[in-house]
Amino acid sequence: MTRGRSAADAYLGDIKVELTKMLRTPAFAVPTIVFPVMFYLLFGVLLGTARGNMQMGLYALAAYAVFGTMAPGLFGFGVTLAMEREQGLLTFRQALPAPPGAFLVARMVTAMVFVSLSTLLLILVATTIGKVPLTPAQGLLLYFVNVVGVLPFAAVGMFLGATASGNAAPAIINMIYLPMAFLSGLWVPLQFLPKMLQDVAPAWPAYHLAQLSMHTVDAPMMGTIGNHLAALVGVTVLFFFLAMRRLGNRGISLFGPARSSAGSARPLRQALSIGIVFISIGLIIAGVLGGQAPRKAAAATSDGAQGSGSATPVADSDSGAPPGVAAPDVPVIGSFDDGSAKAGYGIGWSAVDDKMRGGNSSVAQHLVAGGAGESAGALEVSGEIGTAIQYPFAGTSFLPNGDAAKSFAEQGFMDYSARKTLSFFARGDGRTYTLMLMGPVVDAIPTMYTFDAGPEWQQVRVPLHELGGVDLKRIKVISIGTMTPGPFRFQVDDVRID
Amino acid sequence: MSQSTLARLDDVHKRFGKIAALDGLDLTVNRGELLALLGPNGAGKSTAISILLGLQRPDRGMAGLFGEDPQSVEARQRIGIMMQEVNLPSVMRPRELIRQVSNYYPNPYDMPTVLEKLSLQQLADRPYGKLSGGQKRQVQFALAICGRPELLFLDEPTVGLDLKSREELWQVLRDLVHEGCSIVLTTHYLEEAEALANRVAVMAHGRVVAQGSVDEIRAHVSRKNVSYRSTLPRQTIEAWPEVLQWSEQSGRQQVVTRDAEALLRRLLAADAELSDVEVRRAGLAEAFAEITASAQSGNGKPS
Repeated sequence: MTRGRSAADAYLGDIKVELTKMLRTPAFAVPTIVFPVMFYLLFGVLLGTARGNMQMGLYALAAYAVFGTMAPGLFGFGVTLAMEREQGLLTFRQALPAPPGAFLVARMVTAMVFVSLSTLLLILVATTIGKVPLTPAQGLLLYFVNVVGVLPFAAVGMFLGATASGNAAPAIINMIYLPMAFLSGLWVPLQFLPKMLQDVAPAWPAYHLAQLSMHTVDAPMMGTIGNHLAALVGVTVLFFFLAMRRLGNRGISLFGPARSSAGSARPLRQALSIGIVFISIGLIIAGVLGGQAPRKAAAATSDGAQGSGSATPVADSDSGAPPGVAAPDVPVIGSFDDGSAKAGYGIGWSAVDDKMRGGNSSVAQHLVAGGAGESAGALEVSGEIGTAIQYPFAGTSFLPNGDAAKSFAEQGFMDYSARKTLSFFARGDGRTYTLMLMGPVVDAIPTMYTFDAGPEWQQVRVPLHELGGVDLKRIKVISIGTMTPGPFRFQVDDVRID
Repeated sequence: MSQSTLARLDDVHKRFGKIAALDGLDLTVNRGELLALLGPNGAGKSTAISILLGLQRPDRGMAGLFGEDPQSVEARQRIGIMMQEVNLPSVMRPRELIRQVSNYYPNPYDMPTVLEKLSLQQLADRPYGKLSGGQKRQVQFALAICGRPELLFLDEPTVGLDLKSREELWQVLRDLVHEGCSIVLTTHYLEEAEALANRVAVMAHGRVVAQGSVDEIRAHVSRKNVSYRSTLPRQTIEAWPEVLQWSEQSGRQQVVTRDAEALLRRLLAADAELSDVEVRRAGLAEAFAEITASAQSGNGKPS
């Protein structure tokens, strides 16, 4: 028997063993694959798309994909490495004639397979039960970003696995994993967290991967791709380097031959080490500072009306469009008292539905007597939201710089950056309604602010500068309406922008 | 490096902090031999082995495996190893573990051969974590030999084995040597070295303090055990200068001495009734104790 085995056999053999090992460890495999989908069903579907909040459904898909990416990296590398290090398995493996790095390659492939399983399951659930509209290209990109995105978590996991004892590792990693997921906005959107926590979010690697993940499904991303890549690459390099050093000090080299501890190359290697550390820290700092989130809406309550900002910022506020014209110095944009639904400028208010986008929602609006306070009239909007498309909407819209002779895409912008608050009175059938501000990027999800309209008139006050992502210099459309399927009826009065 | 030398350490020094684990160690492993490496805890056996395996680098001196760096994959493909404290993944089955390690070698044994050599056929598909301590050692041994190695490193291979399994493993080792495989073995069981080794190297304080065949090592030691039945009182015998140690067990007395002939003359002269006399040369255990004790007292050579 003189058949020579190839290195490929050795690599494949190691991958098979690593994968089998993890699949046979239910304490690892089950939470890793099932938890992201479970959380998604809860936050993304029950609290999101099922309540008509499509934006939440999309956000949750991108966020839980990242949540599913963290565990195989952190636990797969961290806990397993710590235990096998203590059990002498790493030392034993090191003395075997395995090709260099086979062990690391096998671990990495295993982590990526687990990420694949959790991401694909998530995409399946999101597009079926969650009814999130996802093109194959978006799905593929989301999948790819997360499979590669496991690397920074694998590096952090390796460092912890090289440092902590086998018994302590699971606790330590959980104490990093769960808070990091929360503080990176993976469970609930960052807007719902206190401002202080929002500001430090870019310090977490999961935040950066989450932003990239958002971008792949065309949900709004904070910061730029470059920022996030820099932070993630920096974290990967730094922690991988620290982990290898740590293991090296313990006499373990995962890359085959360990270099002699004595020798003339020592100063050179030290200089190289310092260089790697500095460059990776530099990348992280650049990424973290650049990835700083713009301010987001804080939950604002007006005179009794319950409103919550669920805005997610638009990708790039300077999307090449010229700033809008300065808004006329008239705060009221809808009094509905003079027998007309017209504002002092622009087009509107006029009823809008989603039929142009292929939907089947219907809407009608008419003026009614007896507005909020003592005012003469108000605008009543009613209709029914259909379910033919993923983001149904019907309501009434105002185009501040609108021109009836132009198509929707050609409509101009209005610069409201000098104004602070958009307010109006509303009452209705008790359902949840949404104020939307739309900027230059027509396909992007508009900035939204939801409120409940009960039987009594209540004022809704929206602090414009605390709404994340909205480009106040370029407002094209202001809409008030609803996305929740079923019949609806509400009245609106005294719309002002001060 | 000659053709017959498979592994060697030349004047190897290794310090851990203030402690010199190896202090100018010279050691060679020759083709076809079973070398038993003996020594008390802290003598440097494990350090010597881990340098030969390329797990550690000497501070000074040279380590070679098949004339190459011990860390080269080519050299490692010619050796098999069994370490003392290794927990293999408990969810994996012996067959899977053996297949994984076999993949690293250019010309491994096929699976049925490995399983048969270690009588593992019945256990091959049981999770490793469910095996007994002895069965686990058998699997580890299978991993050591599955690559058809020319040189085997075995660190305390029979710890935790029952008598029967130990005898079986010894037989496998003898067969391997017969087939031309060389073996380096560290052990606490002196009878293991006596039963298997062609050559013994005794280590103390990071150096080899004695080496040779089992008989040669024994010959290093001048002590003999003289046992007999007599009515002579203990005080009389203990007063004789030849007597190092006296003991009695179920009516039979035993004296440890360096000069058995002189002692016998005195005994016969003092007690005409002396009976059941037996003179026995020291076993490896006594030799080992004496060699390392004299090394401890600063004298590199046994008395």
